[in-house]
Amino acid sequence: MKRKLKIYLPFINAGIQEVATYRVNWIFYMLGNALACFVSYFIWKAVYSSGGTDTMNGFTMSQMVVYIVLMFLTSTIIASDGAWVVGEEIRDGSIAMRLIKPVSYNATFLFQELGNKLPTEFALAIPMIFAVEVIRTTMSGEIQFSILGLLLYILSCIIAYLINFYFNICFGFIAFAIKYLWGANMMKNCIIGFLSGTVIPLAFLPDALEKLFLFLPFASLNYTPIMIYMGKYTGTELLYYLGLQIFWAFFFFALSKALWKAAVKRLSVQGG
Amino acid sequence: MIYVDKLRKEFKKTIKDPGLKGSIKSIFKPKTIKVIAVKDISFEVAEGEILGFIGPNGAGKSTVIKMLTGILTPTSGSCTINGKNPTENRRNYVREIGVVFGQRTQLWWDLPLRETYSVLKEIYEVPDDSYKKRMAFLNEVLDLDSFISSPVRTLSLGQRMRADIAASLLHSPKVLFLDEPTIGLDVVVKDNIRRAIEYINNQEKTTVILTTHDLEDIELLANRIVMIDKGTNVFDGSISELKTKYGQFRELYFETDSPNPVNILNYENHFNFKPDELNIKAEGKTVKLSFNSSIVPVSDMLSYTLGKINVSDISVKDADIEVIIRRMYKHGENL
Repeated sequence: MKRKLKIYLPFINAGIQEVATYRVNWIFYMLGNALACFVSYFIWKAVYSSGGTDTMNGFTMSQMVVYIVLMFLTSTIIASDGAWVVGEEIRDGSIAMRLIKPVSYNATFLFQELGNKLPTEFALAIPMIFAVEVIRTTMSGEIQFSILGLLLYILSCIIAYLINFYFNICFGFIAFAIKYLWGANMMKNCIIGFLSGTVIPLAFLPDALEKLFLFLPFASLNYTPIMIYMGKYTGTELLYYLGLQIFWAFFFFALSKALWKAAVKRLSVQGG
Repeated sequence: MIYVDKLRKEFKKTIKDPGLKGSIKSIFKPKTIKVIAVKDISFEVAEGEILGFIGPNGAGKSTVIKMLTGILTPTSGSCTINGKNPTENRRNYVREIGVVFGQRTQLWWDLPLRETYSVLKEIYEVPDDSYKKRMAFLNEVLDLDSFISSPVRTLSLGQRMRADIAASLLHSPKVLFLDEPTIGLDVVVKDNIRRAIEYINNQEKTTVILTTHDLEDIELLANRIVMIDKGTNVFDGSISELKTKYGQFRELYFETDSPNPVNILNYENHFNFKPDELNIKAEGKTVKLSFNSSIVPVSDMLSYTLGKINVSDISVKDADIEVIIRRMYKHGENL
């Protein structure tokens, strides 16, 4: 284990340095995300003010604001480019350069991406969590921050990231069959945006749909960590959702291994 | 060391009728055909040998290399390198090989070159002191110091290729695969890289498999040639064997003051050469011709030429391997 870590740690290091190379790109990426966050805020503000009620499906407007900010934070934390990167490497044949090294294909991606993400996470998480707490405290008049909630949220985010990472790797392997993934990737992102509660909280959906979506792996990506942070899951419910997250993480981990074994035999390195 | 037995690779290729109509049709009803890229190739390479692997574009060279390095899985047949099967336990197998693809890079594009080596050091678990020694050695052979702190994307092609070769040698592999390592390089860098390959082969008995389109690489480096065309093996042997078997060709250069020397000499009719057996290039005063010396001995050719016209300078040399191979590429197996 220690030896393995020593092999893959340099990938984190290299990942961080990659981000440092393209700082301006990174800043624009963050600004773009923040903008989307504001758009979302104004839409919900309009919905609440035209609805005439303070509470919608268990969410007050202040909770909705918290939800939006947390959604922004969580989706940045768990974001994974895997599908796109794997698809591109298969398409242009550079996957060959990873195959000639004595390392696990998936693990090099995982650690490299962690390196790419770590600067973002730290730059974002601290001010965002602070902002969330300021909003919550001023709107409700009392301090709601709990250390346990935060720790559970972090744990849940880590599992969510692993689910997302391995799901995306699996998805990327589709490129072995269809060669170019751009279209499929767009479709996937839209569907997941809806299924994971990024577009609207799952609590706003009809009961049957909500139950189904909560069980699907995509709720484990965004919705579960947010609900945990907001303190909406407690006791056995909390354990159930964390357990479900772990289940999905293992499921996609195993699936990615199996798909890789099957796919690598079909590999036809394109070009050169 | 390396045994390749009836290696075969088939691809499915989607074919599409021309134009928009064809594109739409192929979305709904794709037609696939089977392409045999490598057709039952067999050869062996001994330890410490440098094998030149040549063939025209699309002959299947790269596909063979990709199967030998464990990137592609053969459709049938087998290859054993160092007693290991590349596709069976890839991660274990690739520890013992080094690979360079001239058209791609294994270096970390956005990072200073040095970082790539420190990542590779961990991947191959090279201990600190041997890493230092190795880097000093590679630096001596490939002269990396001047650009080791620059990001890889800023390197020139020649620097990048040297860096790539160093990266493939960091873990002292037993077998080195070089797929077109001199592609697009200038003469000086080519020379530098050739010397490095030769030196490492000499020093460490590294087995080298080299594909290239630059026949000078082959002549200077390779002990043996395997030539493939359309996926099959057409020649396997040393360069001198290639020359004696196919290359009874000699090249004759001379300078003359006579106008129109080619017409005066009229070799074709005088010696009854078939079109394949003679090739003449005349440019102003100089004439360069290559001919098959098993049809007409060099001495006859010389005395005939000197008897017919006034020659100011003349020389004969062994046919360039290029001449032979150009003929082989044209004719394939039917030679």
